[in-house]
Amino acid sequence: MLDYVYTGWGAFSATMFMFVPFALMAYYVIRRKSLVDTGPTSLQPSEFAPLEGIWLTFAFIFFVVVNLASLKFIPWATASAAVTGEPEVHVDFTAKSWSYDISNRQIEAGKPVRFSGRSSDTQHGFAVYHPDGRVLFTMLMMPNTAKPTSVVYTFKEPGKYKVRCLEYCGIAHHAMQDELTVVKSN
Amino acid sequence: MSIASAIVNNTPIFGKMFTVDKSTGLEEINAWPALMIMSSFVWLAVAGLLGLVMPTTQIFDLSSDHFYTTLTLHGAALTFPFSFQLMMGVGLHRSGGCVGKAITGWLPALSWLSMNLGAAILTVAVLMGLKVSVVVMFPLPLVGAQMGIWSMESVIVGFTGIYLVLSCMILWYPLLVFKMLFFGKKRAELVLSERSLNEPGMLGMILAAATLLLTGLPLVVVGTTLLLALYKIIPMSLAAWAAEPVVFQYTFYLFAHNLMEAMALMVASAMYATLPLYLADGSRKLYSEKLANLALWILLVTSVTSGLHHFITFYPNQPAALSYWGNIMSWGTGLGAAISIFTVLATIWQHGLKAEPGIIAVLVGWALYILDGASAIVTSNIVWTYQLHGTMWQSGHFMTVILAMSMMWMGVLYHHYPVLTGRKLDPALGRLYIKMMTIGSFGAAIVMLAGGAAGMPRRFAAWNQEGWMLYGHLILIFGLILGASFVVYLYNLMKSREISAPMGELARA
Ligand code: HEM
Ligand SMILES: [Cu+2]
Repeated sequence: MLDYVYTGWGAFSATMFMFVPFALMAYYVIRRKSLVDTGPTSLQPSEFAPLEGIWLTFAFIFFVVVNLASLKFIPWATASAAVTGEPEVHVDFTAKSWSYDISNRQIEAGKPVRFSGRSSDTQHGFAVYHPDGRVLFTMLMMPNTAKPTSVVYTFKEPGKYKVRCLEYCGIAHHAMQDELTVVKSN
Repeated sequence: MSIASAIVNNTPIFGKMFTVDKSTGLEEINAWPALMIMSSFVWLAVAGLLGLVMPTTQIFDLSSDHFYTTLTLHGAALTFPFSFQLMMGVGLHRSGGCVGKAITGWLPALSWLSMNLGAAILTVAVLMGLKVSVVVMFPLPLVGAQMGIWSMESVIVGFTGIYLVLSCMILWYPLLVFKMLFFGKKRAELVLSERSLNEPGMLGMILAAATLLLTGLPLVVVGTTLLLALYKIIPMSLAAWAAEPVVFQYTFYLFAHNLMEAMALMVASAMYATLPLYLADGSRKLYSEKLANLALWILLVTSVTSGLHHFITFYPNQPAALSYWGNIMSWGTGLGAAISIFTVLATIWQHGLKAEPGIIAVLVGWALYILDGASAIVTSNIVWTYQLHGTMWQSGHFMTVILAMSMMWMGVLYHHYPVLTGRKLDPALGRLYIKMMTIGSFGAAIVMLAGGAAGMPRRFAAWNQEGWMLYGHLILIFGLILGASFVVYLYNLMKSREISAPMGELARA
């Protein structure tokens, strides 16, 4: 369940979870008070106060819970050697317009991989796509940084994983692609 | 007659929509705003069409160069000379009438000129080949020139244009607002509906102008340095610090992010000012002014630093602590939105609503803004941004925020139009516009978010893989409806009829 929430479509669902109830409520209030029953309400301002409190408390709690529950999915925190005790595999790459230089394109499933990347000219991205088309994570590289941009990710399933640049980098940006192969671990 | 009126009167087609009513004696608060509003719609007409060109180039597999050219022009023209300028025009007219001060002199002229001349020069640069998208992606302009993708001349022309546009937003417009609100004498004959600066309707204007000025100043320094080097007035070695990608990008986003928040403050404040005028019981009161102001302050305070969410995937170059900070502050703006939701709905529930097209457009635009806000805080969460950054989700969010604010301003303009021009709009056309824009804008927003959720990249000339073209077709369909809604809106302005009663009386009624 949480695994689904913290994906792209989970983000879409969360957005709709916030928007749809609001939209229904707004539609109801505006329609009713402009067409059906346009007079002032008999409710006193003081009677709104509890509603105000409940609404804001609900929003606050929802915001806190969503963000706290996401913590363990942050790709700096998860699967790092310190957490799992497993040694990290290193994949280093350099991005330049419009290709990648990748130290190692073959990766074993189940092993935490530390991706570390730099750019040698302008801003670039490095997004790894699951074979089913989802984005697993994306990285942003600028030239001249002291450290490489870096995340840790553990692949679960073998397959071909597309790499795409998601930072616009000029007229052949869309052609800036590569591929990683994830194989069964032995 | 002022220069502004003369330009409006001599502009074909669009001029007719915004000819200022001279009989009211209000030309001093109407002429420059009318010119700004008119110019903004000229840009919309051109750049809206370019919006339709983008999915078309993809569906018919035309050259990727065309896609990136239209992408750059579309984003830049709709953000700056359309949306910002529309806001500037309607906002100035509105606050002029609230404080009874003329909008004349060199500041409005400079604001208008730097915005439109700058945008025109930038357009020339893009047509010369500079395809850097609305956010410049520094150091892409310089790298592209080194690689020979576009010429160094186009970079210099482009930076000149951007610099002029920025000078309007960071200097001339905020200075104009401060001058108007805090200096000069109030003239009774210019007061249309008096407001104090503490009311939510004015507070937002002040906070927004201050935000633009303060968060923009670092960019002015960096931009000036770079421009001087490009013009060879100072040696490049002196500008090297400003050309450092991290320096440029952070200064740019400190401003760009707050530009969006400032525009939000301004439009929220216009909504708080307009809604009370349409309450059914004539009470003209918000549910709570204090709560309304609180929402504006929360938005202001949280937004200044929430722009750090743009660089979360840059870890560890952006330290984790700053990313957490950006994440939390972004969700803090959500609390401001929750408060504004309560204020608006409680106000309507308490007093009833006269559902005229102007206020309904404002409210639908505001609902679109809430949808956008939800998508924005979601993508500011560290985990989600790792999967959404750089996808169509981000384009959807950017376009929707601009679209929502524009729709709100178009509603506010609908309200002020009779005072501006002495002419009346047709409510049936007004309602048709609202219906079409609702379908087009919510449709396009949801489709673009869905595309992003599915991994479809933004600013990417090859949609025809992984099933993304489905979203491309839907964007075109909703885009056509959206484009048609603008045609209806402008047609209504063109067809507007003279009001027989002297407008000066009506305006003060
Ligand atoms: C008329 C129908 C429209 C269509 C079909 C359309 C289409 C699009 C598309 C496909 C994109 C995404 C490009 C990409 O990232 O790959 C986009 C971006 C954008 N659109 Fe529109 N659009 C339309 C109208 C508008 C309007 C009216 C506004 C402003 C009020 C607007 C503002 C923007 C902005 C600011 C962006 C972001 C540009 C960027 O991130 O580089 N669009 N539009
Ligand atoms: Cu790239």
